[in-house]
Amino acid sequence: MKKWIAVMLAGMMTVGALTGCGSSQTVVTENPAETEEEAGTDEEAQAEDAAAVEEVAAEESDMAYVQGKGTLVVGITDFAPMDYKDENGEWIGFDADMAKAFAESLGVEAEFVEINWDNKVLELDGKTIDCVWNGMTLTEEVLSAMECSSAYCNNAQVVIVPADVADQYQDTDSLSDLTFAVEAGSAGEEQVAALGLNYTPVTAQSDALMEVAAGTSDAAVIDSLMAAAMVGEGTGYEDLTYTIGLNSEEYGVGFRKGSDLAAALNEFFAASYADGSMQTVAETYSVQAALIEQ
Amino acid sequence: MEVIMEQMPIVIRSLNIGFLQTLKLFFVTLAGALPLGLVIAFGSMSRFRPVSWLTRIVVWIVRGTPLMIQLLIIYYFPGLVLGNPIWGSGESGRFVAASVAFVFNYACYFSEIYRGGIQSVPVGQEEAGLVLGMTRSQIFFKVTLLQMIKRIVPPMSNEIITLVKDTSLARIIALQEIIWAGQAFLKGSQGISGEIWPLFFTALYYLVFSGVLTVLLGKLEQKLNYFR
Repeated sequence: MKKWIAVMLAGMMTVGALTGCGSSQTVVTENPAETEEEAGTDEEAQAEDAAAVEEVAAEESDMAYVQGKGTLVVGITDFAPMDYKDENGEWIGFDADMAKAFAESLGVEAEFVEINWDNKVLELDGKTIDCVWNGMTLTEEVLSAMECSSAYCNNAQVVIVPADVADQYQDTDSLSDLTFAVEAGSAGEEQVAALGLNYTPVTAQSDALMEVAAGTSDAAVIDSLMAAAMVGEGTGYEDLTYTIGLNSEEYGVGFRKGSDLAAALNEFFAASYADGSMQTVAETYSVQAALIEQ
Repeated sequence: MEVIMEQMPIVIRSLNIGFLQTLKLFFVTLAGALPLGLVIAFGSMSRFRPVSWLTRIVVWIVRGTPLMIQLLIIYYFPGLVLGNPIWGSGESGRFVAASVAFVFNYACYFSEIYRGGIQSVPVGQEEAGLVLGMTRSQIFFKVTLLQMIKRIVPPMSNEIITLVKDTSLARIIALQEIIWAGQAFLKGSQGISGEIWPLFFTALYYLVFSGVLTVLLGKLEQKLNYFR
């Protein structure tokens, strides 16, 4: 009995200590002026300064925050032809080159960080990255969680099936008896869910392809840009092909909610479209046909 | 087959870089968790009740929640809630955050193994030491410690081999360990795309490494067989 009381007391103390921290933290963020007097150790002072800076940044400008630290951290995945590494390990691609140019226009340096795509919103809000610039489809979910630039590239979600049965699946009605694999949270998932198709969510578009190749799913839905690069002759999936497009959609760049960088990027896009530099970069990576006028 | 032979050098180079991260995380975790585990074991055996209860609650929380969640919390919590991304965004920051999560998690598991080992040494030996006028720390280091080490080698080997494979969880915060490196070729990396075999090939690395560890730990166990 005594032991149980001890456990409960210890538990309450822990909870008390935690909530204590929480509330003092709130005070800190609400009242940055006071914190300097209260700051005890250097570490605390740092943390509180950062909290204060963060608040200022949120109220005033994300651009000031990025310029203050001198780097624009770009969250990417290895995704040709948008962001991928050349032989020297340098990040290149249509998105990577545009991101470098945009960073330069802000007077900062672009730093590319590979992220786990599932955690892109966490990475943004946690400030471990400053933008997601990786051929990201502007879905409703993305638009509600991020401050997005205007669309810069057209894309579509296409159906992937084994090449030998491809001619049976050339319209949406024929898809109803297939089982699909789609990337969880992707635009492809939205499409198959909207059509009421039978599907399994997997962690990546590439896993969806593997499912079809392994025969564990009948079909997959992925980006057309990616499909063009990954299935068919001369690729790792020679036995697969893509048939119909389920929708048409657009790529955009995502920033933290409320960030002024999105507007800055729109201006930058407009300027580089007007002087033709955006088209030149697009031609380098053969995506000029999909480019959207700014 | 020919294609695979052509891709082999690129894939191996990439997997080696990933495996280096796996190894780094493995050794850092061991170096941190082995001593920290002993400290936690003493905490949970403390005769001062609040300390022992608090330690046991911490051990309960750490062992009772998935390491994957702990990784996510440790990496994202400072930036999301405190507004200060203390780990930074680069690979090195992710590594430090992963190390902290792994060291703490494994220390809690190790602490229970240590506690079992210490408590399995008959209490009569401690009493004998006290009668001879030894201090408690003398008794621990001269009498208990070696016997404890001998007894905990088999369960520790188990945990250590599990740790080799658990390092792959760190990819949830985008630490580019070997599975991440293998999976990159599925989507496309360095001109190779849609290839599944590099991912399967990573299993060989784990298998060889845990084989080496099994042999080494077996040798250690033999060396400690001095009581029989």
